Amino acid sequence: MRKYIVRRILYAIPTLIGISVIVFAISRLAPGDPVRLYTFGATNITEEDIAALRHFYGLDRPLPVQYVDWLLKMLQGDFGKSLQYNQPAFALLLERLPATLQLAVLALVLQIAIGVPLGVIAALNRGSWLDNVVRFFGVIGHAIPAFWIGLLFIVLFAVNLHWLPSQGVLTIGKDVWDIGDRIKHILMPAFVLALAGIANYSRYLRTETLDVIAQDYVRTARAKGLRERTVVYVHALRNALIPVVTALGGILAALVSGALIIEQVFTWPGVGQLTYAAVRGKDYPLIMAGVMFASTMLVISYLLRDIAYGRVDPRIKVN
Amino acid sequence: MRHWRTTLAVIATAALVATACTPGPQTGGTAQPEEKPVAGGRVIRGSFSDIRVMNPVIATDATSGQVTDLLFDPLLRADPKTGNPIPWMGKWTASADNLTFSWEIDSKANWSDGKPVIADDFLARSKAVARSKLTTQKSNWTDVEGWTDYRDGKATAISGITLDTANPKKFTVKFARSFCPALLNVFGAAPLPSHIYGKYTVDNDPAKNIDTAPENSAPPVVDGPFKFKEWRKGDQVILTRNDSYWRGAPYLDEFVQKVVADTTVQAAQLKTGELTLGAIQPGDFDDLSKQENLKLYEWKDNGYVYVGWKLNNPNVPFLQDKRIRQALAYGLDTEQVVQSVVFGHGEKQIMHTPSVSWAFPGTGGFNEYKFDPAKAEQLIRDAGYAKGSDGFFAKDGKTLGWTIVTNQGNKTRETFLQVATEQYKKIGVKINPKVEDFTTLVPKLNTGSNEIETIIIGWQLGAEPDGFFSIWHSSNIARAEQAGNNFVGYKNPELDKLIEQARVGNCAQDVRKPIYQQANKILNEDQPYNFGFSQNRILATDKRIRGIEPGSFSPDATWNVEKWWIKP
Repeated sequence: MRKYIVRRILYAIPTLIGISVIVFAISRLAPGDPVRLYTFGATNITEEDIAALRHFYGLDRPLPVQYVDWLLKMLQGDFGKSLQYNQPAFALLLERLPATLQLAVLALVLQIAIGVPLGVIAALNRGSWLDNVVRFFGVIGHAIPAFWIGLLFIVLFAVNLHWLPSQGVLTIGKDVWDIGDRIKHILMPAFVLALAGIANYSRYLRTETLDVIAQDYVRTARAKGLRERTVVYVHALRNALIPVVTALGGILAALVSGALIIEQVFTWPGVGQLTYAAVRGKDYPLIMAGVMFASTMLVISYLLRDIAYGRVDPRIKVN
Repeated sequence: MRHWRTTLAVIATAALVATACTPGPQTGGTAQPEEKPVAGGRVIRGSFSDIRVMNPVIATDATSGQVTDLLFDPLLRADPKTGNPIPWMGKWTASADNLTFSWEIDSKANWSDGKPVIADDFLARSKAVARSKLTTQKSNWTDVEGWTDYRDGKATAISGITLDTANPKKFTVKFARSFCPALLNVFGAAPLPSHIYGKYTVDNDPAKNIDTAPENSAPPVVDGPFKFKEWRKGDQVILTRNDSYWRGAPYLDEFVQKVVADTTVQAAQLKTGELTLGAIQPGDFDDLSKQENLKLYEWKDNGYVYVGWKLNNPNVPFLQDKRIRQALAYGLDTEQVVQSVVFGHGEKQIMHTPSVSWAFPGTGGFNEYKFDPAKAEQLIRDAGYAKGSDGFFAKDGKTLGWTIVTNQGNKTRETFLQVATEQYKKIGVKINPKVEDFTTLVPKLNTGSNEIETIIIGWQLGAEPDGFFSIWHSSNIARAEQAGNNFVGYKNPELDKLIEQARVGNCAQDVRKPIYQQANKILNEDQPYNFGFSQNRILATDKRIRGIEPGSFSPDATWNVEKWWIKP
């Protein structure tokens, strides 16, 4: 097992370097120019000023040189300075990390806590109105873009009903440790971020549960005279959960990418919002830091999934 | 960045907050004369991006500028209503030749740590700009004697700036030439606390500068109405009352600037009261004016949204024909555009200078290009075009048509583009409308790329009418080897001469005004732009906030923020 993990981590290195090459190339070759952007509208700025700025940012060197320089520094933990903030990109990212983690973890919990029971209930009541409702919302939750639902929620719960705040992490003026106020703020973005996952989980669970309760061993369990509750929750559900673990990697990926959009809609000051602003401002070092962070999270989550997979299903051997 | 913002800045993405004049519609309570200001409370202003830095030398983005404006006061400023330079934290006298300015800083002006604001602080600002690699304000200072030598490290002092040894509040500045915009450019710059930032600029080492000073993101002392308290990155900046403010301590306890996603979300937050101040779009006016908790202010803006015909682009040679450009002016029903694009919250613009500027000559003697499609078509025929069976004009088998581009996400400009496309179709001109991301549009614009055939964009002008030079002088034509704000490539020796004449020598307004009138006449006749319209500024506030007196020359309307108060 240990060998397997080490090998997977070693594999992850070329993957991440590959990603960095692609993102570096795309961000640099895409049209637009940060120096022009920052100096736009300035009166009488000369080309010498522009060249000096470009030199200051190190953008006047050939692209491969810039890339190798970036890579070598990155390996030492230095992601360069943000062009917009003139501060170390990685430090800026770390400042935003707690906010994103709060959001993602709560969303993950909501996905499982809501999605799993919904799927099981739907399967056990197959064909009933309950089943139809769950399936309907499963499709809706999957088909409607999260940012749109986010805006809809803001209009409904913040503007019309005044139940929840529409933006940010904390009411202005409230103490930073006011947990109640923080929970009020995180509910909407976390729920919206969780929606697609809830839809996914309920669909998986419904299909799997239907599959499992038709198996012979379930019939056997029933024949032994076990209570229905024990049959479903101990014998059936455990096996129905296996594909859920498989889906976990993809769902984590969706959380990372979804946070980019949801943080924007709810002005959640996390990594996603920072990366989005970096892209808007052509802040190359910050873009790279943001993307490398997201990629690393993904690689780790896939690794965790594979490890968990072996745990949940002893038939699967990882090596 | 107060500087280029005051001289001229571009209405970049959505909307900046802003400035001044006509009293707004009264949708909330009005300040009654018997109301007595009460101290306390907090204003929460919406902003579409986070600040980046709080040092006025290197704040190049509008959002950071809005916050540094509250932290640092300038020696003089443009009068919020008229745009005339008026004494602020200092007063000055100019020599008869307009070359030497003697200054005295207000005796009450102190830094928030109790130290007086002194001449040395003005010098610290000047030196900081000279040595910074990140600033975009260098060109403002080049006329100060000895400044460029200091910048380049050839001198260890700026010979043109002399501090009074007897009185630390007094100094004189000597200019190499009488340059009219210099007054606002140089003295509109807020002094920097020399006892904080002075150490970062080293006289005999030009490589040292303030660019990476930790104080840039947490200024420890200020001389403006508010002090820095906390910056929650990506979310909000919290400022608190500066009790030692030289104009008197503000009534408000706190001023918070909060990041919101976009105009839709901002409107929602104003309704819920999560925000109590925000610049809004005309499209939200009716909705928000119905809100009981809000009051709206509306005033004319010192800027305009225009259609810029690229005059030096070989792909669209017909735009070089004045008759075509005039036809495009007669063929656009701007009154209707103002109704459908900004819902009446604006006015037609027929020249470069907006009506709020002191340089505005009035419209007498100007061609107003009243909507006249028949005349438009006649002018196109005069230029040798004939209407084809498809309803579009053509010459030598080529249809009269081209692409107009604007930046994505700006509702006003996108709608303007749609309406113009429709209207031009009616006079037989085929427009291909295109929206493009601002980040990719910018380098094409200010390097004069021929990928752009016509642009819809806006100018946010400063109080100093010399914005003319940057936008219309042929030396500022945008080209690959030298970026410029003359995006359309307009070149007219007669206009060049007028612009040069108006910026040097005798800077009296009554001397400069007739020159700008002539310059505007030329542009009005030549139509290098369709000057489009000037969109009003609209500010939505919690109706309990009192004391707001917007003016077209106070970006953000915060010039008298210390007088703002909240009725309990």
